[in-house]
Amino acid sequence: MPGVSSRLAAYSQVVLFFGAFLLFWEYGVRYFEVKSYILPPISAIAVAVWEARSEIFENSMYTLAEVLIGFGAAVVVGVMLGMVVYVSPFAQRTIYPLVTALQTTPKSALAPLMIVWFGYGFISKVAMAFLFAFFPIVVATLGGFAGTAKNLEEHFRALNAGPWRTFTTLRLPSALPSFIDGCRVAMPLAMIGAIIGELVGSERGLGNLIMLGTASTRTDLVFGCIIVITLISLALYALIEFAAKSVWWRGIQV
Amino acid sequence: MVSTASAAAPQSVNVADMGLKMTAEPAANHIEARGLNKTFGSFKALEDIDFEIRNQEFVSVLGPSGCGKSTLLRIVAGLIPYESGSATIKGEAVRAPRPDVGVVFQTNNMLPWLTVRRNVELGARIRNMPAGARDAAVDKILDVLSLTKFADAHPHQLSGGMRQRASIGQALVLDPQILLMDEPFGALDALTRDKLNVELLRIWQESRKTVMLITHSIAEAVFLSDRVLVMADRPGKIVEEVTIDLPRPRNAATTRAMPKFGEYVAYLGKVMGVAN
Repeated sequence: MPGVSSRLAAYSQVVLFFGAFLLFWEYGVRYFEVKSYILPPISAIAVAVWEARSEIFENSMYTLAEVLIGFGAAVVVGVMLGMVVYVSPFAQRTIYPLVTALQTTPKSALAPLMIVWFGYGFISKVAMAFLFAFFPIVVATLGGFAGTAKNLEEHFRALNAGPWRTFTTLRLPSALPSFIDGCRVAMPLAMIGAIIGELVGSERGLGNLIMLGTASTRTDLVFGCIIVITLISLALYALIEFAAKSVWWRGIQV
Repeated sequence: MVSTASAAAPQSVNVADMGLKMTAEPAANHIEARGLNKTFGSFKALEDIDFEIRNQEFVSVLGPSGCGKSTLLRIVAGLIPYESGSATIKGEAVRAPRPDVGVVFQTNNMLPWLTVRRNVELGARIRNMPAGARDAAVDKILDVLSLTKFADAHPHQLSGGMRQRASIGQALVLDPQILLMDEPFGALDALTRDKLNVELLRIWQESRKTVMLITHSIAEAVFLSDRVLVMADRPGKIVEEVTIDLPRPRNAATTRAMPKFGEYVAYLGKVMGVAN
């Protein structure tokens, strides 16, 4: 079975690389006598995470909820707006340029405003996650609908297909691959939005924990939070990748 | 909403008795154009087009690329409007696509996310054919086109020729009396094209639909047609009409070997050369 052995080789390369990286980190900081509030050894970070595990878990769930709700709202509103802009020339002339202009605004600059509007709690972070995830989803949805093959549209016209039938049978499935691409971009952005919101002003969440860790020079805890945030982002991205598998006709031209 | 309305139209055809219709022939020509003009902006695409295709007649429109023959087909299909003159199907002015007219385009119109079966039955679903009749019709079409084995495959798993066959199936599933074909084999290699010509001929000889075939292949036009209309470009107009007096049923081996077949091909080649 040559397939298995070559996969094993690829797998062991990955393990070796990351093993070497972690070892270098662990012994590098000791060898170069890096101060632990600058860069703690990886073992110290692991210990810090383990000791604060219940705190990290609770705050993770809080941040995860912000991200998922913000992302979900971005999908719902983004898809609806993408559809409206697609079907309405009026919206295409008015709303779409506005959306494009807003897209260029640095969303992180809006964080203080969100806190003024929605307070220090949960809602302002959901709003931040939403703002970050929203634009890529609108653009991708619109691109997906606009990319419907012209010959297929004509084919549906020749069959006297009504607008609803054309939408559900043709436009929706042909827009799905592009929409999924939008989600791929939007999901990590939603996490970034929520964390920025928490850093600017919050009472809970992993961003809040980072602020507390920084204030008390607990760099090990800060690193622990960063690693946990990265792992959650990776898991969410994997979820999107999994969903993308059901849209297998992406890139297939017949 | 539109699809419901069209499904209730009187032209809906019973697929079960495909090819066995014994109804009296209607008086009007199946397809007719009189003094038809079409411009795109300042570009005159079609000028003064006059022709008719009778019930169960197979007529090819032969012409070079860009002569407006596809535009002519789209007008007859009700897909684009025309300026002046008239285009009629069974004596009724063409205003929109009709359920008794099937259209096959040069690009196969397979939806990549549907299986071959679901693609072939698409028209039947859109026109709300009852499920029982639909399944029977699809089974029959897949069999006629030798696609039964590939019913559950997806389009990208098929060869170009098979996809184009399935495309023809998409039009045949509604058992239209009139079939409009816009260079259906134009994107295929010569061998596959010849094979599909034979298959199309066989299907037509069994079901005797009225066919308008757009092509730029002289041999294809001669082999399949009762009559050939030759078009010239700038502006697109019909410059010659040739009745193909070759015996039917035709078949690949004997028909193409007839001296008359060669004479028609040579003559049409000359006409095309002169006209353009």
